[in-house]
Amino acid sequence: MIKITDLEKFYRTEEVETIALNKLSMEINTGEFVAIMGPSGCGKSTLLNILGMLDDPDGGSYMFNGAEIAHFTERKRANLRKHNLGFVFQSFNLIDELTVFENVELPLIYTKVPAKERLSRVEAVLEKMQIMHRRNHYPQQLSGGQQQRVAIARAVVNNPKLILADEPTGNLDSSNGNDVMELLTDLNEQGTTIIMVTHSEHDARYSHRIIRLLDGQTVLENILI
Amino acid sequence: MWKSYLTSAFRSFKNNRGFAAINILGLALGLTAFLLIIFYVSDELSYDRFNTKADRIYRVNEDLKFGNNEVFYAVSMAPLAQALKEDFPEVENAVRLKNAWSARIKKGDVTIRENKLAFADPSLFQVFTLPMIEGNAVTALKEPNTVVLTESTARKYFNSTQVLGRTLLFDDHLNYKVTGVIRDLPKTSHFNFDFFLSMSSLEESRENKWLRSNFSTYVLLKEGADVKQFEGALNGFLQRHSGAEVQAELKMTYSSFEKSGNYFRLNLIPLKDIHLKSNRTGELGPNSTVQYVYIFSAIAFFILLIACVNFMNLATARSANRAKEVGVRKVLGSSRSYLIAQFLTESILVTFMAAVLAFGAALFLLPLFNQLSGKEMAVSAQSFIWLLPLFIGLVLLIGVSAGAYPAFFLSAFQPIQVLKGKLSTGFKASGLRNFLVVFQFSISIFLIIGTLVIYKQLNYIRTKNLGYNRDQVVIVQNSYELNDQAKLFKQEVKRLPGVLNATLTGYLPTSNWHNTAMFYKDASLDSKRSLFPETWGVDEDYIDALGMTMASGRSFSKDMLTDSSGIIINESAAKFLDLKEPLNKTLFKSNGGERTESNTKAYHIIGVVKDFNFSSLRDNIGPVVLFLDANNGALSIRVKTTDLKKVMAQIEQTWKSISPNVPISVSFMDQDFDATYRSEQRIGRLFILFTTLAISIACLGLFGLAAFAAEQRSKEIGIRKILGASVPVIVRMLSVDFLKLVVLAIVIASPLAWFLMYKWLQDFAYRVQIQWWIIAIAGIAALLIAFLTISFQSVKAALSNPVKSLRSE
Ligand SMILES: Nc1ncnc2c1ncn2[C@@H]1O[C@H](COP(=O)(O)OP(=O)(O)OP(=O)(O)O)[C@@H](O)[C@H]1O
Ligand SMILES: [Mg+2]
Repeated sequence: MIKITDLEKFYRTEEVETIALNKLSMEINTGEFVAIMGPSGCGKSTLLNILGMLDDPDGGSYMFNGAEIAHFTERKRANLRKHNLGFVFQSFNLIDELTVFENVELPLIYTKVPAKERLSRVEAVLEKMQIMHRRNHYPQQLSGGQQQRVAIARAVVNNPKLILADEPTGNLDSSNGNDVMELLTDLNEQGTTIIMVTHSEHDARYSHRIIRLLDGQTVLENILI
Repeated sequence: MWKSYLTSAFRSFKNNRGFAAINILGLALGLTAFLLIIFYVSDELSYDRFNTKADRIYRVNEDLKFGNNEVFYAVSMAPLAQALKEDFPEVENAVRLKNAWSARIKKGDVTIRENKLAFADPSLFQVFTLPMIEGNAVTALKEPNTVVLTESTARKYFNSTQVLGRTLLFDDHLNYKVTGVIRDLPKTSHFNFDFFLSMSSLEESRENKWLRSNFSTYVLLKEGADVKQFEGALNGFLQRHSGAEVQAELKMTYSSFEKSGNYFRLNLIPLKDIHLKSNRTGELGPNSTVQYVYIFSAIAFFILLIACVNFMNLATARSANRAKEVGVRKVLGSSRSYLIAQFLTESILVTFMAAVLAFGAALFLLPLFNQLSGKEMAVSAQSFIWLLPLFIGLVLLIGVSAGAYPAFFLSAFQPIQVLKGKLSTGFKASGLRNFLVVFQFSISIFLIIGTLVIYKQLNYIRTKNLGYNRDQVVIVQNSYELNDQAKLFKQEVKRLPGVLNATLTGYLPTSNWHNTAMFYKDASLDSKRSLFPETWGVDEDYIDALGMTMASGRSFSKDMLTDSSGIIINESAAKFLDLKEPLNKTLFKSNGGERTESNTKAYHIIGVVKDFNFSSLRDNIGPVVLFLDANNGALSIRVKTTDLKKVMAQIEQTWKSISPNVPISVSFMDQDFDATYRSEQRIGRLFILFTTLAISIACLGLFGLAAFAAEQRSKEIGIRKILGASVPVIVRMLSVDFLKLVVLAIVIASPLAWFLMYKWLQDFAYRVQIQWWIIAIAGIAALLIAFLTISFQSVKAALSNPVKSLRSE
């Protein structure tokens, strides 16, 4: 599904040039559950953002389902993104002014799903995430675990082929964290490809494969199954 | 402590340079406009106050109703001033002025046409404060053929002010001896003359006639005199003096004159009110209208308000960003009053900087503004006596009032909530801010509608079909100087190629000539069936040369000998007389003196001319009667040419062949017409200027707010983009909230503006309609301007990289 070769990303501030990704290559197949690990600042988030088509690489190639993304226009990438990808963040990134229901509904609005269908799909996914009883609450009124469930609901409501999760359990206690990992595992078992950045060896063990980064390069790959 | 307030205030500016700039600039712009208007308004209000006795000086006005006509004069009778002095002990002094219109004065070999001359009684200098630098103020204007000059006129003719005893030659035959030199009249005088000629030079000034009004009469009352009582006694006084004449002229007693619904009254207007509140027939110069003072004061106030609102809005919008600072300060032990002082210092400092900028800009722009407003305002050392307190007052008032809300609002934040991040709601619960935006835009939209209506009305006045054609009419203003040869001049001019026609008379729709006479429907001269029209002596080319149209009947003709007793009336006169078929009807006019039937003259109506405008378009067209008369006041020449210069040269050549020594004086009818409306055109320009300013300031504020909104919502925008929102979707989302407010402002402001402008238009006899599209244009313009302002920020926000905005959280 994903094949990157010699991917490069630099950040230029006034004086220093940081090499966030240094000729990184990897391949991820459909249906895989991959964990990306590494010390802080090694480029995990940068990689995830590029994979999520939120950011441009400075060099190398990125093939998504056989198409070269590196040269896509912003518009084409946005279109690809909203139909194929779902995001889960460490800090949930829910919109405070919208209710749980409205937050989850948002991606469907942007893909122009008719209102009636939106209602049934949002309700179904909220049911699945066991957060239905909170549908009319605002994010501020939920616990961290509940918020992350809403965020996952929002990530999957469009039935994406790939979910990108950046430290999804980083702000949660271990019990809530385990719940989130169970949810991701379920999704993966139903066929969704998952790429997850994590600092936790425990969480990483839910995945099929761990890719370890250091200074923007792969140093190690553990195949778990 | 103060130092700490100031340093942290300065740091806060430095860290928010963009917003500080918007804040200071907006406020400075508002203050500049405010100051300029204050200058304008205070200049308007200061008219005639240079007179040390201004409080005790009144002008005597005359109101007359006779038959169907009502006339309001600024002028009164020749013997009035003297009689008032004799009859009323409370009258300390009285003075008459009479416009002398125009004269040619010799300076060496050249003659100069002067237009600012007046006859005046010697008491002029005892009533008005016109300091004399040469000569004796008491005796200066006693003798016939003496003149008092203003300083600059003396210099113009003699290069000196020590000119007592020198003479000036007027119109080639009259010598006037200079008996005094006064300071130039202040611009803020309702009359403005360069030459004051002794009243005794004027035969008419000695006439004891109470039914002729040609003199502006001013009285100076004694200290403590009861004005009401004096004014009340004026009508009895008038009856005493004019009763005999009324009896003789009108064949009725004064009381039966009044009983039949007529009146003949005197009243007073305080000197200080003349400039703003008097618009009568026979004013000594064009006056202004108090209405504009009100309107401009309101605009000044609103502009300042808009600027202050900006300031408050931006400050509270920033509150979210500053909430954290407040929280930290509070945790560190800062008291609430310290924080309030801190924020107020900041706000006063901003106001101070803006005020310095504004005062500088206002002084710098004053010459330009003078040009635009037609004034001669200047700031002198003396002005600082009121400017300085105004400055300090404004800074404190605006600084505190605009800073108060954010100061109290911010300082009331609970530190725990803020630090927990629960108060990142800076932009959200913003009812007040929304209200203020609506308020600002309501004012802006109101001003746009107001300006459009005023502009349309002024344009209408300019282009209205006046009933005559003022284009391509050259007026020789001094044809009367040709005396008997004026007719010859006319004939020669008519023969020139490019000249279509010419008419010889001083009575023109654009001139100041007025003459009224009484006409009666019955030979018995029954005043109930009478008309008191403008009665103009014209020649047989008048109607054609001025491009007037006959409604019925015919124009005067050279070939009809009976036309000497024929008259042409206008439609309005026909209406006043209630004549359905006016043609060939007869009107009677007294020959003066004995009112017997043999002493009346009968006129038959040979034509009705379509109404044409001859006074302000604010007034309805009054009745006019035209009769054939040899009047050589001016020659109006209708030309049709592409080479106006050539025709003008030929006209001048013709003039020279008849009168080689007297220079010709020409004007153009359309320019004369425009001059009548110059002050109104100026007002229109000022309106556009201030409206533009008000809208710019409001937009500056909106720009700042939009920037804040975008900044505050940057995380949300990032999330939405990641979830698939496109740029247009984001732009729409950010703009709609503001545009809703603007729409609300339109809904509020339009009916209000419509109503007030409707009221304003009622003052004009000839006025435009306020069409719905004026309001539509104003609304769309406001929306468009607001949208452009906002979309700059929205597009910027929508294009930003979502990863970046999420990182900064
Ligand atoms: N916008 C940016 N400007 C400059 N440097 C950046 C920027 N974003 C990331 N970097 C740098 O690029 C490198 C990789 O950053 P990245 O966020 O990918 O690390 P990370 O592995 O996700 O770390 P963490 O585990 O702490 O989240 C770091 O050295 C970081 O300082
Ligand atoms: Mg990271």
